Amino acid sequence: MRDMRFTIPGQSLNREPFIDRIPDFQKKCEVMITDRGYKCKITNIVPLTSQEKLFLLRIVDPMERELFSFRPGQFLMLEVPGYGEAPISISSSSSNQEFVELCIRKAGLVTSAMFEARQGAMVSIRGPFGTSFPMEAMRGQNVLMVAGGLGIAPMRAPLFWIGNHRDWYKDVRLLYGAKEPSQLLFNYQFEEWKKVSNVNLMTIVEHPDDSWKGRSGMITALFDEFSIDPDNTFAIVCGPPVMFKFVCNHLDHIGIPMNRMFVSLERRMHCGMGKCCRCMVGSTFTCLDGPVFDYWSVMNLKEAI
Amino acid sequence: MNHLGFKLDSIKIGSFDFTCCEGCQLQLANRESSLPDFLALLDIRNFREISSERHDDYDIALVEGSITRSDEIRRLKTIRQKAKVLVAYGSCACFGGVNSRKNPIPQEELIREVYGDKHIETMPSMRIADFVQVDYSIPGCPVSKKEVEQIVVGLVTRSLVSLPRFPVCVECKQRLNTCLFDLGEICLGPVTRAGCDAVCPSGKTPCLGCRGPADDINFPAFSQLVHEQGLSTEEMREKLAFYNGFTDYHDHEG
Amino acid sequence: MIYKVISKPEFRAFIEALVTANTSYGPRQVDTDSHGEPIYQFMPVSSADDIAFDYTVTTSSAKHLLMPFRDELSRFSFSDGDWKQQVDYETPPIVLIGLRPCDISAINILDEVMLKGAYPSPYYLARRKNTFIIGMDHLPLPDCFCKSMNRHTVNHGFSLFCSDIGNRYYLSINSAKAFSCLKEFCLTDPSYEDNCLLIERRKHIKQSFETNIEVSGLPVFLDVEFDSPIWQKWGDKCLSCGSCAMVCPTCYCYSVEERFDLDLRGSTRESHLYSCNLVDFAQVAGGHNFRPRNGDRLKYRYYHHYRGFSANDNQQICVGCNRCGRTCLADINPKDVINDLRLEGESCVTCVSPSPAKA
Repeated sequence: MRDMRFTIPGQSLNREPFIDRIPDFQKKCEVMITDRGYKCKITNIVPLTSQEKLFLLRIVDPMERELFSFRPGQFLMLEVPGYGEAPISISSSSSNQEFVELCIRKAGLVTSAMFEARQGAMVSIRGPFGTSFPMEAMRGQNVLMVAGGLGIAPMRAPLFWIGNHRDWYKDVRLLYGAKEPSQLLFNYQFEEWKKVSNVNLMTIVEHPDDSWKGRSGMITALFDEFSIDPDNTFAIVCGPPVMFKFVCNHLDHIGIPMNRMFVSLERRMHCGMGKCCRCMVGSTFTCLDGPVFDYWSVMNLKEAI
Repeated sequence: MNHLGFKLDSIKIGSFDFTCCEGCQLQLANRESSLPDFLALLDIRNFREISSERHDDYDIALVEGSITRSDEIRRLKTIRQKAKVLVAYGSCACFGGVNSRKNPIPQEELIREVYGDKHIETMPSMRIADFVQVDYSIPGCPVSKKEVEQIVVGLVTRSLVSLPRFPVCVECKQRLNTCLFDLGEICLGPVTRAGCDAVCPSGKTPCLGCRGPADDINFPAFSQLVHEQGLSTEEMREKLAFYNGFTDYHDHEG
Repeated sequence: MIYKVISKPEFRAFIEALVTANTSYGPRQVDTDSHGEPIYQFMPVSSADDIAFDYTVTTSSAKHLLMPFRDELSRFSFSDGDWKQQVDYETPPIVLIGLRPCDISAINILDEVMLKGAYPSPYYLARRKNTFIIGMDHLPLPDCFCKSMNRHTVNHGFSLFCSDIGNRYYLSINSAKAFSCLKEFCLTDPSYEDNCLLIERRKHIKQSFETNIEVSGLPVFLDVEFDSPIWQKWGDKCLSCGSCAMVCPTCYCYSVEERFDLDLRGSTRESHLYSCNLVDFAQVAGGHNFRPRNGDRLKYRYYHHYRGFSANDNQQICVGCNRCGRTCLADINPKDVINDLRLEGESCVTCVSPSPAKA
C-alpha cells in the first residue's frame, strides 16, 4: 500500500488553466468588468419638480473621464455608496466629455438617497450599458420623437445629438406630453431646442390647470395636427408602456415600418451585464439587447407591454 | 453620510414591553460582538435591558409583547402619541404570539387554572396593530438581532430595509438542510416569511411560523400538501395557530 | 485527453493525497429519509473515508461552490467625505469530487453564461479557474432524464473523469495538472479488455434510463404555448418557495443588494442567488410586478430552462438531473409539466381540425 502521507498541494493544482478551452476575451472585450465603477462628483443639482432632479456628474479621474463615452439611448448603473445601484438612462449629450447628466425621479431606495445628496457628493457609475438609437441610420430622414412624462430624460441624448448634427436630418419633430403642466420637464430648454436645434416642438398635457394655454389631451391627439411621410421617417418613442403602445400602433397605422420605430424599455436591472436575469423580457435581456429596441422586436417579445 | 453631503443623526429610541417574556429585548442586548456599534447608532432614552436612564422623548418606539389588559392599551396609546415611528417587534407584538393560545379558552377557566381564587384582569391576547398604527413590523420569536440591526441601520440612514418576501425554504435550501418533509415531519417553512436564516429547520426542528406568512403564499396548495402528509385540518389549524400569525388563513377549507 | 486505468485502492490513495492538502468537497451522507434511504450532499471532506463513492445523487447541486448563494461583489469604506471601493475576487483552489456528467455539463453551461459574451464575470472565473473537478459516472436513477437533454455524457469541463469498470476506474484525464498529480500513482494503459468494459459500461448506462422527455422542437412549442392555461394549472400547485432554483445546477439568476455596515463606516454589495419563482423577482421600483401570478413565474422558469436565453445563444440550460422534481413539495417536475404541455398542445390541434371520418 502507498504511503498515505504523500499530498498534492493547492499550488500544483493552480498552475495550469482550468479547462482545455479558455474563453477568448480578446475578441469581445478588452478588460474584465468587475463591480468597480468610475468615481464621480456631483457638481450641480437642478431641481426640476418635487419628484425630479437633474444631476450633473463629473468623473473624478481624468483618465477615466476620457475613457468614458456613450451613445444616445444607453444607460448606466448609478451607485450611491451604501444605498446601492439603480439603472439610469443618460440624459446628456454624447459629445459632452466633461459631464454626465442624469435626470432622476425619486422612486426607490437609491434614487431617494440620491435626492438627499448635496453638491460635492461622491457617487459612482458603471457603464455605459445597452443598445442605443441608430442615429447614423436615420441620416437624411425625418425624425419624429415622442416623449411622455419622464421619457424626456432618455430623449435628451438623441436630441442633443441631432442638435450637433442638424444638417444630417430633414424635419425633426418632438412631441412631448405630460400629466400636468408642472410636470413638463426642461421647459427652460424648449426655446433652445426650437431655435438652436431647429426642432419642431409640440407639447400637450392631460390635465391642464388655469395657467396652461397650450394643448390638452392625450399625446396621440397631436398626430392630427401635422402629416407624416411614412416612407422617410424614423420614430423614437420614450415613455410609459401604455403610451408607446398607443403611439406605435398609431404610427404603424400611418405606415411607418415597425423596424423604423424605436422604443426604450425599462426594467429593474441588477447587474447591467446580462447575468442576473432580473430585467428579462421574454427571452431577451433589457440590459444587453435593450434598452433600445425597434418596435418589431418588442412586438415579438413576450411580456413586453 | 459625509460622502453624500448630508449628516445622519443618531435616533432617539425607546423600547417598551407588554405581555411577553422580554426575550426579544434581551436578544438585542445579546450579540456582544456588534453591541457597541449597535448602541452607537442609538440615543437610548428608555430601554430597561440596556440602560437605567428613563426619558420620555423618543423618535422611535420599539414595542414588544401583546396586549392582554386594558391598562396596557392606555400605555400603548401614550407611547404612540410620543413616538414618530412605532416598530412592533417579536411575534407577540406582530401577531399576538404564543400568548394567543389562551384566546379560545374561557377566561374564568384560565384564571382559575393559573391564579386559583385570586382575582385578575385579563382579556384575549391582541396584536399591537389592533390598537394603534404600526409603522414597521419585525416578526420572530425571538427576533433575529441581525435583522433588527439592519432595520435600525435602515431607519438611521433612511434606507429602509424591507423584510424578505419569500418563504423560509430559500434560506433552508441555501444551508443545504435536508427537507424536513423528507424526514416525515410537517414544517411551515414553505409558507413562512424568511429572514431567520432557517434556524429551526437547520436544527432539525420543523418551522412553526413565528415570522408569519410570506407574501402571496399559495395556501390551498400548502394545505393539500400537509393533508397528503396525513395531517387533519384540525391539526393543521393547531400548528398554524401556534404564534397566531396565520389568522388570515384560519377559515380556509384547504 | 489521455486515458488510463487505475485500481480502486490506488484511486482512493490518490483522493486521499488530494483531499488532505486541499479544500475539498465530495458527496457525503447527511441524513436518512423517512423511507430509510440515504440523503447525500456535496460537503467538505477531509479524508477519502468521508466520501460516499457509491452515492446515488445529492439533494443540492455543486453550483454554490462556484457561484455562492451569497457572494461579495465589492466593498465601500467611507472616510472624510469620500470613499474607497475594493473589489476582491481571489479564491483559494478547491477540489470537487464525484460530480456526475450532468453536474459537469451544468458547469459547462454556467461557463457559457458567465464567461462568454461582452462581460465575462471575474468572480466566476476566479473560482472556476481554481476548481479541480473529478467526475464519476453512475447508473441513472428512475427519474433521471439527462439522456433526453443529451447530457448523460460529457467530454470536457472536468480535470479527471472516472468510469467504473468493476474493480478499476477507467480514467479520462483532461488537464495537465490532473496528469501531473497522478504521476505518483500506479496507472496502466487501458487494455483491449478495459476498452470493452468501458463500452459495455456506457451501453449499460445508456440503456438504464427509465424517464424520457421529448424535448425536440420545445423552444418553438414554448413560444406558441405562451398563453396556455397549462401554466396557471401548474402555477396553482406551485408554492413559490424557490426550492427548485436553489438545488438546480444551472439556475443562476441573482439579485444585487447593498447593506451598510453596522458602524456606518462602510457598506458591502452582495449578489444573492434568487429564484424566478419568488414573488418579487420581476418587481420594479414603484411596485409594478411584471409576473404577478404563480403561473407566470413558473412558466418563466420553464421558459428559461427549455427555450433558453440569448446569453448563451438560446441553448436549453436544463441538464436533466431532476433535482427540482425531487425537491418540489408540490410534486411539480419537468417531465410532467412538459408532457402536459405537449398533450394540451397536440390535443388542441385535433379540436380545430376534426378528422375527415367525423365530418
